[in-house]
Amino acid sequence: MTGWRLGIDIGGTFTDVIAVPPTLPTGGGTQRTAKVPSQPQQPVNAILDAIAAVGLTWPEVAEIVHGTTIVTNDIVESRWRPCALIATAGFSDTIEVARGSRRNLYRMDLAPRPQPLVPASLRFEAVERLDHEGRVVTELTDADIARVVAEVQASGVDTVAVCLLHSFRNTDHERRLGQALRKVIAHVSLSHEVSPEFREYERMNTTVLNAMMMAKIKHHLGLLADRKPDASRLHLMHSASGMASPALIAERPLMLAMSGPAAGVAASCRIAADLNMSHAITFDMGGTTTDVCLIVDQRAQISVNRDLGGQRIRMPMVAVDSIGAGGGSIARLVAGALMVGPESAGARPGPACYGKGGTLPTVSDADMLMGYLNPTRTLGGSITLSAEHATAAIKPLADAMRFSVDQAASGIARVVHANMARALRRATVERGLDLRQFDMIAFGGAGPMHAVEVARLCGIARIVVPAFSSGFSALGCVEAVMSYSRQTTVGMKSGAWDQAGLDALLADQTAELAAALVNAGHPRDGLVVRHTAGIRYSGQSYETPIEGPNLADPAALGAQFDAAHRALYGYATGEAWELASLRIEVLAPETAPQARPDKTPSSATIVQGTRRMVFESGEAVEVSVLDRDSLPPGQPQDGPLIVEDAWSTTVIPPGDRVTADAAGNLTIEVRL
Amino acid sequence: MKNTSPMPVTIDPVSLEVVRNALTAIAEEMSMVVMRAARSPLLREAGDHSSALTDSQGYLVAQGADVPVHLGVLSFTVREFLARVGADRLAPGDVWIVNLPEVGGNHLPDVKLIRPVYRDGILYAFAVSLAHWADVGGAMPGSYFAGARDAWAEGLRMPPTRLVAGDVMDDEKLALILANVRGPAERKGDILAQIAATTVAARRLDELAQRHSTNWLTAAFEAIHDRAERQMKDAISAIPNGVYSGEDWMDDDGHGGAPVPIRVTVTINEDTASFDFSDSADAVPGPINTTRFIAGAAAFYVMKALYGPDIQPSGGCYRPLQVITRPGSIADAPDDKPVVGGNHETCQRLADAIFHALTPVAAAQLSAGGPTTAGLVIFGTRTDQGIATFYEVHPGGEGARIDRDGMASTRVHLANVMNTPAEVIETEYPITVEYQKIRRGSGGAGHHRGGDGIIRAYRMRGVETTVTTMFERAVVPPYGLQGGEAGALFEARIEHADGTVQPLRGKQNVQIGKDDLVVVTSCGGGGYGLPVD
Repeated sequence: MTGWRLGIDIGGTFTDVIAVPPTLPTGGGTQRTAKVPSQPQQPVNAILDAIAAVGLTWPEVAEIVHGTTIVTNDIVESRWRPCALIATAGFSDTIEVARGSRRNLYRMDLAPRPQPLVPASLRFEAVERLDHEGRVVTELTDADIARVVAEVQASGVDTVAVCLLHSFRNTDHERRLGQALRKVIAHVSLSHEVSPEFREYERMNTTVLNAMMMAKIKHHLGLLADRKPDASRLHLMHSASGMASPALIAERPLMLAMSGPAAGVAASCRIAADLNMSHAITFDMGGTTTDVCLIVDQRAQISVNRDLGGQRIRMPMVAVDSIGAGGGSIARLVAGALMVGPESAGARPGPACYGKGGTLPTVSDADMLMGYLNPTRTLGGSITLSAEHATAAIKPLADAMRFSVDQAASGIARVVHANMARALRRATVERGLDLRQFDMIAFGGAGPMHAVEVARLCGIARIVVPAFSSGFSALGCVEAVMSYSRQTTVGMKSGAWDQAGLDALLADQTAELAAALVNAGHPRDGLVVRHTAGIRYSGQSYETPIEGPNLADPAALGAQFDAAHRALYGYATGEAWELASLRIEVLAPETAPQARPDKTPSSATIVQGTRRMVFESGEAVEVSVLDRDSLPPGQPQDGPLIVEDAWSTTVIPPGDRVTADAAGNLTIEVRL
Repeated sequence: MKNTSPMPVTIDPVSLEVVRNALTAIAEEMSMVVMRAARSPLLREAGDHSSALTDSQGYLVAQGADVPVHLGVLSFTVREFLARVGADRLAPGDVWIVNLPEVGGNHLPDVKLIRPVYRDGILYAFAVSLAHWADVGGAMPGSYFAGARDAWAEGLRMPPTRLVAGDVMDDEKLALILANVRGPAERKGDILAQIAATTVAARRLDELAQRHSTNWLTAAFEAIHDRAERQMKDAISAIPNGVYSGEDWMDDDGHGGAPVPIRVTVTINEDTASFDFSDSADAVPGPINTTRFIAGAAAFYVMKALYGPDIQPSGGCYRPLQVITRPGSIADAPDDKPVVGGNHETCQRLADAIFHALTPVAAAQLSAGGPTTAGLVIFGTRTDQGIATFYEVHPGGEGARIDRDGMASTRVHLANVMNTPAEVIETEYPITVEYQKIRRGSGGAGHHRGGDGIIRAYRMRGVETTVTTMFERAVVPPYGLQGGEAGALFEARIEHADGTVQPLRGKQNVQIGKDDLVVVTSCGGGGYGLPVD
């Protein structure tokens, strides 16, 4: 490869970049990393700054893969572009009828759910109807297409979503409407392209969200294209943890909804592969939330339904669960129990120990008093930590519990650990997996501090704190491969198997996904196709996912399903079943460069000093602080220990043990 | 942390929260097992099921999926079960089944599977899985018989019965059950899923007991009760002392009767509260009677929603609450009375009556009357594969509040089951959905308007379909508050293929034919405050 390859992760506060040189170094140190401030108003500038920060100019760069929170933030903050909706006659109100449920069972004061994305005045109807097998009941006439297109035009919007009933079974009506609309409307989104699955409300809401994001993303991509040298390639990290071309993203911007977390998950998948982990759970603990995601056989678990900012989104995305607990979570005594979160001190005023006016006790204050945080470090160059402020915040809580301050601090940590353990358990149970089979990959500011006690509660015996834990998401970007995936409704019963129909569906969907990759310059015969079948007994509504299904032999497929169901629930009935859905992933596994930190092997551990630490028992002990880069590979060291570098602190409690490897990863063996 | 000494164990605020998380995680895991593996449509994403753990006396210590109406049920189920069966008859590896309303229950379709959990021969907890089966036998598909005049017409009545002994299914009892319900294969799937949930719970509890001890766990259970009691007392203390009365009305019992009064007298005395429903009507002939356990659920819901959303459901919650019902009344019906609709219809009205009572002291916190009805319509169509039963709820307009309009198309208060998408209905049942719309203008006028209801129309593709209705607010509308106007009434009708139109009453079973159209028009919410113009 000629030219550098850059992974750039544009986060809310910082933009991380990793640059991999043209020829992979075998021993030398030429990889570069940097961190620059994000510029929410000018995301393109953050990319230019990032390139400059690693000492390069764009013409020297062969390829950039970038992750971004542009779409995520617009959804979470409800920044909507006016959008028209066209639905089957009688169904345009579906966007408002929704599913009829409310989000909070006991909070009458809160609105049951957000207002519908499209107001009644922008809802239009096309006279047409398909049945559930895609047969035409009422033909969509050209005259009606002309009428409804004219109505949308008259409304004055430049964005429209189309969602016709059963359109994923027969795309003809939506396609014809789309053709007519695209001649006169700038941004058009069709439901069978965005989410070809049944359940009209979810498909409609997803399609509308996609349409609403198109203008902004096209603008962003346009600015990038203006600055980018023609020879340099650009890709984006999408929510299912692969990269996508700008051309596809311009039509499916909603694929970026989970771009940021997906990059971290991609990097974790790489670590899991490097270290041969069959089951891994990521543990990314930050200031306000903690993200966890399961990685099985080096592949991230994917979910197809997600609520983001109260909006239901249905498309394949890394199954990241966000727990509302992090460093800023506030502890308080409620009716005699110590509760932590979900209220957070946020960035302002922040935890009390930041000295920025916060007075309520937070997890970070407990971390400060337990010795997890380095008291001499300044955060972001401006915040000096204050133990006095932390003590002042925790003291009243300690008094109310008749605890010492140390005991109260370790109590806050214990409660956080219990919250997290419950969330981790939920993430595995939802997918029928046993936490004790898992290793943990801990990163994020607070992840390596709290990982061991959480792992212990979950019965997890091994934790890896990856090298590069700062800029970890950028690492995920630089190592991503091109992949497009799509989930589609099949609804084929074992008793009415239609092999020809299934083969045709597979061929169609695969060809469509592959075409996007071929258009982006990947040779067709190098593409790899993966299938995940969703199968259920008739009457069940949850599908059991079958990886690598035998789609050519229903009897063999049935046996795969029975075995999986038995493993999940302890029984299988052997009765009739249904192939409900199929997820198809097409990827171009060309050799992505392997970014690895360059470190000079060390022979002697450098002890930076000692620090007073408090562990779960509430007793204080003096603990050695080791310089992370100096740990000799392959030599286990027993806790209690702190391992620190410029970006992260890893806490190893008494009885646990840590070993560094040559790549700079730390492995912690957890005493269970 | 092992503590096996007989010394009294104290549970500090940290341990209390840690163990509460651990127990809730177990109950949540039970719910996920049921949701993913069960068959009845209601158990699906709609989540009409609940899971709970109780202490050895049957008092609730943790709950998974939180369906408010089930709280009242599961708070009493194991205690009533123990009162009839006795702990000495239970053994490790047992799973019992029960659905009798009088055994801490509500109506026959909500079937409970109960597993006693032991360690070293000592019974220290129970795991309970409650699930709404799509059919439990009786006169009509879906087991809602509007014409029922006694309890036996409503389906298979299961007293506490040991279905699994020594972790082995009793196939003969299972066969007896399956022979009496529609869709036996699916019901078997439901039973297996519920048993699997209790098995998981027992395993997880054992891990917890291993880490601590049963002695410590028992102390923790007690601490959980004490804490919930304190939370409930704090909530009650927020209400001024006094005696408050309220009433609301059920439309009818389906047998042609007049509106039926539901009355409550709420007495607040410092940190205790009593809810006396004695002045409510006598039990009625039709299936809107209910049990005193449901009355408890309504009282608990109102306290939590108005004064303490964070109150932890637990046996301790009920210590400062006294729920009084008059045996023989609609809220404490004789065991031989039909109750199927009371579970979600009368239950909501009991809550409405309490809201009315508290209006003088809580007007700023209250919502005006909303769709306090499931708006239930059941279609039972005979097909080549048997009887396809489609059970559907219809949301209406939320009541307005002091600071905002009500939202359209929403479930309120004790229920939150989702609707079924048209594409799912058309794929799985011989029914076409012709349209689904917002019912504009159906919300009551007011300074803030009530939310709008919906209109949905179903065209029959099958030759012969039994339609069952079970809805309210078709005679007595959702009320306005502080001068706001009432919401529009719930309506339903059949537009026959021959052009004739037949109105449907709120509790009715009728036979219809191919191409007939059933149009369901749900109620609007009440307005809040005087309309401005």
